[in-house]
Amino acid sequence: MSAVIADAARKPLSIKWPLGILAALLVISLVGGKTAMIFCLLLALMLTGMPVSIALGLAVLTFLFTMTTVPPTQVAQKLFKGIESFEIMAIPFFILAGNFLTHGGVAKRMIDFATSMVGHMHGGLGLAGVLACALFAAVSGSSPATVVAIGSILLPAMLKQGFPKQFGAGIITTSGALGILIPPSIVMVMYSVATNTSVGALFMAGVVPGLMLAFLLGVVAWYRARKFNYPRMDKASWGARITAFRRAFWGLFLIVIVMGGIYAGLFTPTEAAAMSAVYSFIIAVFVYKDIGWKDVPRILVNSASMSAMLLYIIANAVLFSFLMTYENIPQAMGMWLLQMGFGPIVFLLAVNVILLLAGNVMEPSSIVLIFAPILFPVAVQLGINPVHFGILIVVNMEVGMCHPPVGLNLYVASGITKMGITELTVAVWPWLLAMLGFLGLVTYVPAISLWLPKYLGMM
Amino acid sequence: MKYLNFLEEALIAFLMTGATLIIFVAVIHRYLSGYNIPGLQSWLLSLDLSWAQELCVIMFVWMAKFGAAYGVRTGIHVGVDVMVTRLEEKHRKIFILIALFAGMLFTGLVGTLGLELVSGMFHTEQVTSDMEIPVWITYLAIPLASYLMCFRFAQVAWTFIRTGEVPHHDHGHVDGLEDDDAKGQPA
Repeated sequence: MSAVIADAARKPLSIKWPLGILAALLVISLVGGKTAMIFCLLLALMLTGMPVSIALGLAVLTFLFTMTTVPPTQVAQKLFKGIESFEIMAIPFFILAGNFLTHGGVAKRMIDFATSMVGHMHGGLGLAGVLACALFAAVSGSSPATVVAIGSILLPAMLKQGFPKQFGAGIITTSGALGILIPPSIVMVMYSVATNTSVGALFMAGVVPGLMLAFLLGVVAWYRARKFNYPRMDKASWGARITAFRRAFWGLFLIVIVMGGIYAGLFTPTEAAAMSAVYSFIIAVFVYKDIGWKDVPRILVNSASMSAMLLYIIANAVLFSFLMTYENIPQAMGMWLLQMGFGPIVFLLAVNVILLLAGNVMEPSSIVLIFAPILFPVAVQLGINPVHFGILIVVNMEVGMCHPPVGLNLYVASGITKMGITELTVAVWPWLLAMLGFLGLVTYVPAISLWLPKYLGMM
Repeated sequence: MKYLNFLEEALIAFLMTGATLIIFVAVIHRYLSGYNIPGLQSWLLSLDLSWAQELCVIMFVWMAKFGAAYGVRTGIHVGVDVMVTRLEEKHRKIFILIALFAGMLFTGLVGTLGLELVSGMFHTEQVTSDMEIPVWITYLAIPLASYLMCFRFAQVAWTFIRTGEVPHHDHGHVDGLEDDDAKGQPA
């Protein structure tokens, strides 16, 4: 909805557009039969701007009422059963853990640490921005919150040092998205829920691509800073580095608890998430003292409603994929693709295009929940590794957060930089291009994602 | 109304805390009872926490259903608004109203279906596997929360008709930033 204000300057669309699209959908659904009808109905409902969860649910209800003999009370039961699993409950725990640490104080510690490590190189604060974003995003679990937290502290400092606004804005907008690739990642839990893939293996698989992408974004920043001769900082002493690290350590240790706990077999992913929630509460209230007891109820309610929103989408998406399976749509699509003689290469290219297009209009969790159940069976038939496929989807989502028209990171970045969306889009181009290149790499070199989990014997 | 709001918030905050603590205690229990500490170990081993996972899941499902109703009030549910936000004011209003009524329709329908489901289960002897509480009690979340959500949609629609405002959740909000402008409001 923040798009309302940002787009106000543009000429309003005529009512002919939505009516035209609806008419086109109607024609397609009349010609295309049952399958086309489901998708057209879903698209039409979503176009009205209603919550994705409601659109999914209504599409399924309409279809079940009119075309099948499935008893409708099953819908109510599925809405309960769909999320009645211990694995899914990692999501609320991770959100709670992230919300305790999503605080300006934590962001400042990460920035100080990052600056002391890389501030003296070309690109100085900009490079520190990439590192700080990667660290904060991993801990907080939210890309937009990362952009706001790191951006509103770091950008003013960069401007003061004489960096152009575009440079800083481009870095923060794109690096903020790193959070969904570097574990613990909620989008990965969503994928594992939708496809029954191991969360632990996915988390491990995200480490190498996450670090590579952070490095790549850093290289782009470094190269541009050297070319345009942007300011650098004095090299920090090792003493200062150790002090900064000690202050950032407590927040970063959260990643160690989750990854170490899962890898060592101490906890299941959900248990690790619950432990990290309690840990981050203790750190935030007793060690960092960023938040007081009076803030705790508000954080609890916020985390609960955020998780509820995601779980509500999951419940309705489970309903939708039940309908898909009932109508044998993924199997039919897989057969069709195999008959056309498409190999994995063409299929993966098509997946990337579809997901990037979907990334234009939807946010990551909805995309994963709607598309993964449809695309996954086909991918498996073509012999693509489920974990590799998951990482590919996650990298796709990351790109989608950084480009218009609905990249959430762009909108929050536009808020803190006071730059228009168009101007900001130009500013993020160098990094977005690097991300797209990286997407290609991850798509066709499975080893990038699969090496670590295989090496650790997790798959 | 104030009481209903407070009850809703208190319930979801309680479920969130409760579920977290239960799992935390269960994990600590599992590891502590492995150590040979006289007295403590035998006491810990006498406690049976096998119901913890089931209770946690049920609490979270309840939290999800009631939290979703709370989310309607705060505008947290995300939709595809690329096209709608760019329409002319009067046309946009129509679409927003359609969306809100669709929300009412869906939640109302699910509430009714859920009621049917629960009343069907009421007469059966079905119990949950670990805690052995009647299944129909756990399923009560569906009708109760769906009707509440339906009511919330109606409330939002009514406010929208009167004032033209819909609640909007700010996904980029971060505490503890000195700069008050930095709250994700677009330029």
